Amino acid sequence: MKRVAAVVSLLSLAAVTATACSSTSTGGSSAGGGVFTTIDGFKPGLDVNGPINPWNPKGNMFQGYNSMKLGWKKNHLTDPNQFYPGIAASWDIAPDNSSITLHLQPNNKWSDGTPVTAEDVKLSIALAYTQGSTAFSVDPGAAGAASDVEIIDDHTVKISQDMSNPSVTFVRGVMDSFVVPAHIWKDAVPANFWDTLKAARGEGAEAEKARAEITAQSDKVLAFAPAKDVSAGPYTLERMNPGEALLVKNKNFYNAANVGPDQVKLLNYTGNEQIWNYLISGKLDNAPFTAVPADVMKRIGQTPGNAVVKGFSPVSVAMAFNQSKKPYDNVHVRRGLAYLINRDEITKIASPEGGTPALTTTGIHQKPAEAWLGSELSQLEPYKLDAAKAEKEFKEAGLKKTGGKWTLPDGKPWKFTINVPAPFSDWVSAAKAVTSQLNEAGVTAEVLTTADYPLYLSELSAGKYDVGFWLVALGPAPYNIYQRLYGASNGWSILGGKIKHSAPGKDGNWMGSPETIDVKGVGKVNPGELTGKLNTAPESEQKAIISQLAKAANQDLPVIQLWDYVNTQFINTNRFTGFPENESDLLRETSGVWIQLGMIKKK
Amino acid sequence: MTATTIVPEARSASATLRRNFWRGVWRVMKRKPSRMLGVVIMAGFAFMGIFGPMLYPDRLPRDTNALYAAPSWAHPFGTDFEGTDVLALVVTGSRYVLLTGLVTAVITVVLGAGIGLFAGFRRGRWDSVLMRITDMKLTIPGLPLLLVLSTIWKFTSAIEMGLVLGLLGWGGVARAVRSQTLSLRERGFVEAARGLGLSTTHIIGRELLPSMAPYIAMNMLIAVTGAVYAQVGLFFLGVLPFEANNWGVMLNLAVFGGGALTTTAALPYLLAPLLAILLLTLGIVLVVDAMDEIFNPRLREE
Repeated sequence: MKRVAAVVSLLSLAAVTATACSSTSTGGSSAGGGVFTTIDGFKPGLDVNGPINPWNPKGNMFQGYNSMKLGWKKNHLTDPNQFYPGIAASWDIAPDNSSITLHLQPNNKWSDGTPVTAEDVKLSIALAYTQGSTAFSVDPGAAGAASDVEIIDDHTVKISQDMSNPSVTFVRGVMDSFVVPAHIWKDAVPANFWDTLKAARGEGAEAEKARAEITAQSDKVLAFAPAKDVSAGPYTLERMNPGEALLVKNKNFYNAANVGPDQVKLLNYTGNEQIWNYLISGKLDNAPFTAVPADVMKRIGQTPGNAVVKGFSPVSVAMAFNQSKKPYDNVHVRRGLAYLINRDEITKIASPEGGTPALTTTGIHQKPAEAWLGSELSQLEPYKLDAAKAEKEFKEAGLKKTGGKWTLPDGKPWKFTINVPAPFSDWVSAAKAVTSQLNEAGVTAEVLTTADYPLYLSELSAGKYDVGFWLVALGPAPYNIYQRLYGASNGWSILGGKIKHSAPGKDGNWMGSPETIDVKGVGKVNPGELTGKLNTAPESEQKAIISQLAKAANQDLPVIQLWDYVNTQFINTNRFTGFPENESDLLRETSGVWIQLGMIKKK
Repeated sequence: MTATTIVPEARSASATLRRNFWRGVWRVMKRKPSRMLGVVIMAGFAFMGIFGPMLYPDRLPRDTNALYAAPSWAHPFGTDFEGTDVLALVVTGSRYVLLTGLVTAVITVVLGAGIGLFAGFRRGRWDSVLMRITDMKLTIPGLPLLLVLSTIWKFTSAIEMGLVLGLLGWGGVARAVRSQTLSLRERGFVEAARGLGLSTTHIIGRELLPSMAPYIAMNMLIAVTGAVYAQVGLFFLGVLPFEANNWGVMLNLAVFGGGALTTTAALPYLLAPLLAILLLTLGIVLVVDAMDEIFNPRLREE
């Protein structure tokens, strides 16, 4: 498998060189043609009746193909504000992050021939306000929201940040916005939208009314269904059936000359098994991250042309404690459990192809952790499997061992119950393996599943579970990473630029960590306030804050980090070349983005 | 004087009847060896449900170096995702499945037969009310209701699960028993019993019920298979609590976690619980076939 991947890397390098050459000569038309077949990872289950609307979850707009954003996130290890060009060709960010000026692609047209202008961007921002996004929100407490949208000229838009409650994620919030054609969508919001928005920014009853008016538009925008697809992306939607969506090349796309495949076919899928079968039959030119059992992986690898590309994915999975429940309020119990869990074995059982065992608990994925923490990472407690240390911690917590079983300090039986959502088979097998390990060490443990993920999340945040699986390290913005540990679910929320702490069990605080932690070598810290600071701190200060938070998380263990996900993707090099290589930041975007940047070429 | 002589005679007559009955049963069984097989399978499952879990330690051993191991002498059906013997999982998981089936069958039959007999015998207003309730019950789709119920109720014990399945399943039996009752109550022997002034309890208990016993007994066995399918299905869909040795959970993890429908590694893990369900169904079908002939003399080929 490795050898194939290496070949692919070489091929993609060659393709990039070829693209560079062709753009100066014939415009790359020689490498055009063919049908590129893939699946859209954001759209399990195609809906033929879905509107051509990027905000509608069932909408038939596919990111990177016929749906465009201002820019495409690189998800760099430490810098959240790096992007590939989309509707915006370039952008200037003010040094204090107070504004971003977008320069749109100069020769970009919608598929019906209308030029893409600043007006389209402004209307799309108005539509984004009705849905609420990080940068475009009418919520008075939101950090990093825009305060003004100004059209400088036909192809330049300046968006300013509300500096009374700033955030380093502002730029990212702006760039991560969809752009739709104003001449099609103009009726989706009322003509007086910008006046209402101005009123919504004030205070008092009138502002409240204006805010309600804007959010009331949400359903209307979600239901808005243009009669046909007018796209500024490399493709437009030609036709759909329940099995697939067919997209054809948009001749008006700014980089159309370098777009390789003439058509894109997005296949329908409702479960991973379907994707496995597509891959085994060699149908897919690319499949985004899909959980794959080891044997299926082997089988996919046997299909000629199939190869695996791996990269970084800013996601880790952890076991989170509800510290309102005994004995999980005791840090020694949490540490003792950490010493009993063999993360290597858990990863081998649950996610052999899509994960690497967590080095330790820091709250960060190990790759950015190395970048942020450097040598400090190796000084943290690794919580390697150690029954003796676990016993010491449990004894310190007052737990008793009778007849080979650990009991609570008062002698009552202790049952460790992990909750997981039933549809996530990797989590279910991981949770089962954790309970097996704990049972062998004398901790009575069991798994409880919940029917679906939304129900799981609502029960988790209602404080119904003792311990549950929880995604952490959702970067790359450091604030986003740590708000998974010390954010709203642990009692800290930002209101009007100020950090407020709610008691366990209130305002969604189900984790219930103590408000301050005495961290060895650092002193007393308030992790929620430190996390809040990450929102505004300049990059130079962020490193120090992250170091303190990583130490706090490592010592206090609000969660036990189990494995860090690896972005494992599949490509097939029989029909096309120019795929991103291992570790490419483009692996974190759809293959539509690879195509529109001119990478994918027909063989 | 006469009474004392009649009673022993009646006793010996009923003893002869019983002896003849068992002789008849034996003859019916002997005629088709498949029926014997059915009995053996059912006895095997009963043994597995009662004593199976005692044969294994509380915590099944696992070998993390042999995940999804191929079948071997040590693991006839291979191992699961964490290296536990699949056969051990099927055996230890049988108690929950079978107990649920049993509870469901008992509830289905007691409620169904009770309501059907009462409605059919009483007729009139009681019949209308009970049958409208039955009709309403029959219109409730079982699976969607169970899916909704599973979000609020965790069905951790087999008895709870059986209770719910039983309460959802009595409608068909009630309707069928009622129609049989309506037909039987007009027959001569019931008329005669009424003419003799025998009590309603006697007529229902001694005259009607025995005629319907085979039908009810067969329904009971079929209800067991229905309950097994229903609960294995629910566990397969993943809406019920996780229990590694539950047959439905095994099927779910084999397909969605192990890719048993895509590659062969997890296939034994998928086939073992499927085979158990298939065998159980086969056993029940064969026994029902025998019962049909035992209770219905017209089917006897003598």
